[in-house]
Amino acid sequence: MKPVFKGILWAVLGAILGIALLVVIRLAFGLPAWKAGPAVAMGYLFGLSGWLLGVGVWDYWALGWLGRPNKQYTTTGWRRYFDFDTDHKVIGIQYGVLLVILFLIAGLLAMVVRYELMRPGRDLLNSAEYNNMMSLHGTTMVFVAVATIMGAFGNYLVPIMIGADDMAYPRLNALSFWFVPPVGFLLLGAALAGGYDTGWTGYTPLATVTRMGAMFYNLAFLTIGFSSILGSINIITTVITMRAPGLTWGRLPIFVWSILGTAALSMLFTQFVGLAMLMTVLDRVAGFSFFDPSRGGNPILYQHVFWFYSHPAVYVMILPAFGIALEIISHFARKPLFAYKWAVAGMLGVVVMSAIVWAHHMFTAGLEEKLAIPFMISTELISVPTGMVFLAALGTLWHGKLNLKTPMLFALAVIFNFLIGGITGVFLSDVPVDMHLQDTYFVVAHFHYTIVGGGIFGLFAGIYYWFPKMTGRMYNEKLGKLHFWWMFIGFNLTFLPMFWLGINGMNRRIADYMPQLGGLNMWVSMAAFFLGASFIVFVYNMVVSWVRGEQAAANPWGARTLEWLIPSPPPLHNFPTEPQVVDDPYGYGVPGSVHARLAAAPSPAPASD
Amino acid sequence: MSTATHSHGEGHGAHYPRLYINRLGFWLFLFSESMLFAGLLASRFYLRGLSRPEELSQSLGLGITVILLVSSLTAYLSETAISHGDRPAFLRYTLYTMVLGAIFLGGVAFEWTAAFQHFPPSSPFGTVFFAMTGMHAFHVLSGIFLLGLVYYNGRRGAYGPEDAWPPEAVVKYWHFVDVVWVFFYAALYLVA
Amino acid sequence: MNRDGVIVAILWVVMTAIGEWIALTARFMPMVGAEEAAVIDEAFTLLLVLAVPVATLVLAFFFYSILRFRAKDGEETQEGPPVRGNNALAILWVLGSLILAVYIVFNPGLKGIRELEASKGQEELVIQIEGVQWHWNVSYPDYDLSYERALQIALPVDTRVRFDITSQDVLHSVWVPAFRMKMDAVPGRVTTLYVTPTEVGDFSVDPNLRVQCAELCGTGHPLMRMDVRVLEPEEFQEWIQEAKEMVMGSGMEGMDMSGQEMSGEMSGDMSGEKSGESSSDSQ
Ligand code: HEA
Ligand code: HEA
Ligand code: CUA
Ligand SMILES: [Cu+2]
Repeated sequence: MKPVFKGILWAVLGAILGIALLVVIRLAFGLPAWKAGPAVAMGYLFGLSGWLLGVGVWDYWALGWLGRPNKQYTTTGWRRYFDFDTDHKVIGIQYGVLLVILFLIAGLLAMVVRYELMRPGRDLLNSAEYNNMMSLHGTTMVFVAVATIMGAFGNYLVPIMIGADDMAYPRLNALSFWFVPPVGFLLLGAALAGGYDTGWTGYTPLATVTRMGAMFYNLAFLTIGFSSILGSINIITTVITMRAPGLTWGRLPIFVWSILGTAALSMLFTQFVGLAMLMTVLDRVAGFSFFDPSRGGNPILYQHVFWFYSHPAVYVMILPAFGIALEIISHFARKPLFAYKWAVAGMLGVVVMSAIVWAHHMFTAGLEEKLAIPFMISTELISVPTGMVFLAALGTLWHGKLNLKTPMLFALAVIFNFLIGGITGVFLSDVPVDMHLQDTYFVVAHFHYTIVGGGIFGLFAGIYYWFPKMTGRMYNEKLGKLHFWWMFIGFNLTFLPMFWLGINGMNRRIADYMPQLGGLNMWVSMAAFFLGASFIVFVYNMVVSWVRGEQAAANPWGARTLEWLIPSPPPLHNFPTEPQVVDDPYGYGVPGSVHARLAAAPSPAPASD
Repeated sequence: MSTATHSHGEGHGAHYPRLYINRLGFWLFLFSESMLFAGLLASRFYLRGLSRPEELSQSLGLGITVILLVSSLTAYLSETAISHGDRPAFLRYTLYTMVLGAIFLGGVAFEWTAAFQHFPPSSPFGTVFFAMTGMHAFHVLSGIFLLGLVYYNGRRGAYGPEDAWPPEAVVKYWHFVDVVWVFFYAALYLVA
Repeated sequence: MNRDGVIVAILWVVMTAIGEWIALTARFMPMVGAEEAAVIDEAFTLLLVLAVPVATLVLAFFFYSILRFRAKDGEETQEGPPVRGNNALAILWVLGSLILAVYIVFNPGLKGIRELEASKGQEELVIQIEGVQWHWNVSYPDYDLSYERALQIALPVDTRVRFDITSQDVLHSVWVPAFRMKMDAVPGRVTTLYVTPTEVGDFSVDPNLRVQCAELCGTGHPLMRMDVRVLEPEEFQEWIQEAKEMVMGSGMEGMDMSGQEMSGEMSGDMSGEKSGESSSDSQ
């Protein structure tokens, strides 16, 4: 716990220092001492630095730079999860738990949104409050969807699945996690600073003139962006350089491929959202004019820069979910992954193509003439690589021996839901149709089908699948199945009608709508509450099973990737001896085939240096 | 072994030498950073096309560019020096690099005072000018800071032919920042 | 093997038939109020028709596999056949989806864009709309008519209309659901939208005959609506006259909505909210 307290203390001191510095500078230039915008920016910048230094950078890096020995925390037990711990398994769980909590909070915000939308007119919230809730829901959920699978499962599992002891840069790994709590703090801070009503997209000029909360949103996006860039560099380096002997690219588990693709996306594109946020902040606090047309700026620039990241970001949300789904489908269908190479090619194709489709979010934005057409074409072509994942899933199911356990059910739901989400995406990519549907509930339905139906269902598939490995305990299968069916039915009942709402004239981000849509909105809200309630089962199952679930075997699923060769939960250094990979992990149906061997007699633990 | 910490942190079991891993990660980092500058560059042309104001001081721009390029040379010399174990030369050249970097920053600061008169950040060109030079200057500043760290440790006997990664990384970073400037210089001073 | 394949094929055909029947007979879209709406509805229907066989193909395999190949009790540890792929099949799949994707680029895509652009430059009436937090300002330059805080606009039926759209402050978007057309209002530039209304009517006939702001613009966003009245040409002329008199005579800024109320809380909701803190923020 010590680093956390130290971090908080240093953060407060840093914030005070930053603001004091600002006041001094402003006075020196003869300006009034106080101005809220710059004060927030400076306070946060210094506060964040203080936090990072306090939480670990000082002890782990700076002391070494200054020629003094680095400190070491030697906590054990649950306290490790509150420390600057460099063990990738601890970091994975830190990410996972923090982000699931954020998910539940954002989900509760969605419940508030749905409560307001039950009836036309405004009952619970006024329009400004509604916009705050909606924006906070969207932003938090996007952060969750971007960061959870890569942060939690990527960190926890990638090193194990490639037979390594840890990430390439464990300290950096810990640092990327400790960037995330300030993000939570900022989202909370935004609410306290009056909220922000710009949606998760933060379009300017609204974002530059609206309440101060919008700047918290900018800073939060910047911070989580930093975190994912550092994390993705770490993951790419790890996968390239630390694979166990014999683990060739052709034998890499599909989940690792998907994380690699995701990391490549984050590494290449996250800069742009950072830039978009930075430009907004500069416009707001320093009088720059990127987006102010009266002074030579152009608001469309924001959208280009923002979507150049945020479209690839939707693949950051979905690729790891595809990876999890295919991984689980192969192990639970007890058949080799069908068309493995094609699935990998599809994922890499998506990585490459996602760089050239961003303007499909701007078909009605007053885009430069003729620019819509190339983006329509590229967007429609990106269905082709995405479709290869479906081929792999269907081919694997065919003639398999399907064990319909909870993880498998969630994995199958990814395929089902994303089919709907993807195909409706193709509707939106058609310029004429998008003229009507842009910014309506059709889009809302589309992206909940992709992000929630694909990404979040994939996340839950992963949670159930790896729960025994991570905690050493089994979850309750009955409750798991109950959660699945409840969530699956609730999800479809909630979001399917939204397509119809959008087509029939309900636009998004409104607290109030045309009265004739009232009945269906009531239905959607009821279904949403039903959906929300399913998570109580989930939380109950997780908490109870973690505390006193049945002990889990090393390999409860009979799966073959490397993480199942070691005890649950894995020991500190993962592998007693270096694993030798001899074949791909999907050799089902071939008698005697194995993925990897661990040398029988563990040699004395290698000196850890 | 039983404690929860990995001693020096960096993982083992790698099948590549540590230096290779460090280099790979560092190149990825630079690659990723270059996207940030590419974004700024693209925004500059999106907003302002090929136009630029007349008030920019061409001689100052050229001057600081030359200085920065020379500093790349001294940075290179310092890196070669330490990889040959020549500590005094290493320290000397590191110091030169820092000084040249500081002169560059001084030049930028001087340019800024003039720029504030003619095209403040709130003006069309000022926005891109200050954002680009500001972002770049921030990188130069952090480069000087890192060079300072390397210098400080080098004075205290760290690094040698076998252990030249930190100087190497800092120097690579320095080269990177210089290359970025070449593009920025062209985009700000030379176009049209 | 073959038996399974045949069943799936039959399943696919049946599901496709049902799906296509729904796609072709069900009416998903609201009232068609303009030529453009017909174009867009046609594109939508075509996409639906093309999407059905793709979806049913996936779903037929999917559900059949789940029902037919699930491990029975005691079979959990058995393994399926070691089939690792089938390149011919994969190539077929990729080619199939590629052809489909390229096709939809041409057919609803480029074709629809061309049809929407057909009336470009042939407008018979220009209407300027300016978005402001949170209302619309409208003017008819051809008739020397302009009014602020507009609550309605009128269009003559079967007339090519060009909207010149812009904004004073933040982004807004002009959307008429019955016309299916939408264009953002961007400060500092003028965007255009062409529509040719084909049905006489107004908001009281169908609520989709309204201008709805469709780009988040802050607190008043949901209420940035205007009634759209599509009138016979003579009535339109009368409307223009009346409107002119109202604007000049009473000095009234707004115009009454005809025959229905749009949520009345608007003013209360928005008071004191305008532009948030920025004004207090600038020194
Ligand atoms: C996980 C997230 C995710 C994913 C994966 C996708 C995937 C896709 N999205 Fe989506 N999208 C979002 C999240 C996502 N989207 C979000 C959040 C928004 C709204 C942002 C906002 O404004 O707030 C959005 C908005 C959005 C828009 C803008 C709508 C608007 O505002 O007007 C468009 C338009 O083109 C679009 C298209 C697509 C397409 C074509 C795909 C394709 O990748 C889908 C490809 C998949 C398939 C097609 C199905 C499987 C394929 C086959 C079975 C093969 C055969 C099929 C064919 C050849 C057609 N999306
Ligand atoms: C990961 C992404 C994600 C997820 C999971 C969700 C989940 C949900 N979303 Fe959200 N949504 C977005 C991403 C997401 N959304 C985005 C990006 C936007 C756009 C915002 C914008 O326009 O800018 C949006 C917008 C959005 C809107 C449109 C708002 C508007 O335009 O005005 C609506 C409306 O119905 C909605 C509804 C829901 C619902 C009902 C859920 C449900 O699935 C939620 C399920 C409920 C829970 C998860 C809560 C359950 C918790 C409990 C019951 C408590 C139990 C806890 C303990 C016991 C401790 N969402
Ligand atoms: Cu104006 Cu929304
Ligand atoms: Cu997109």
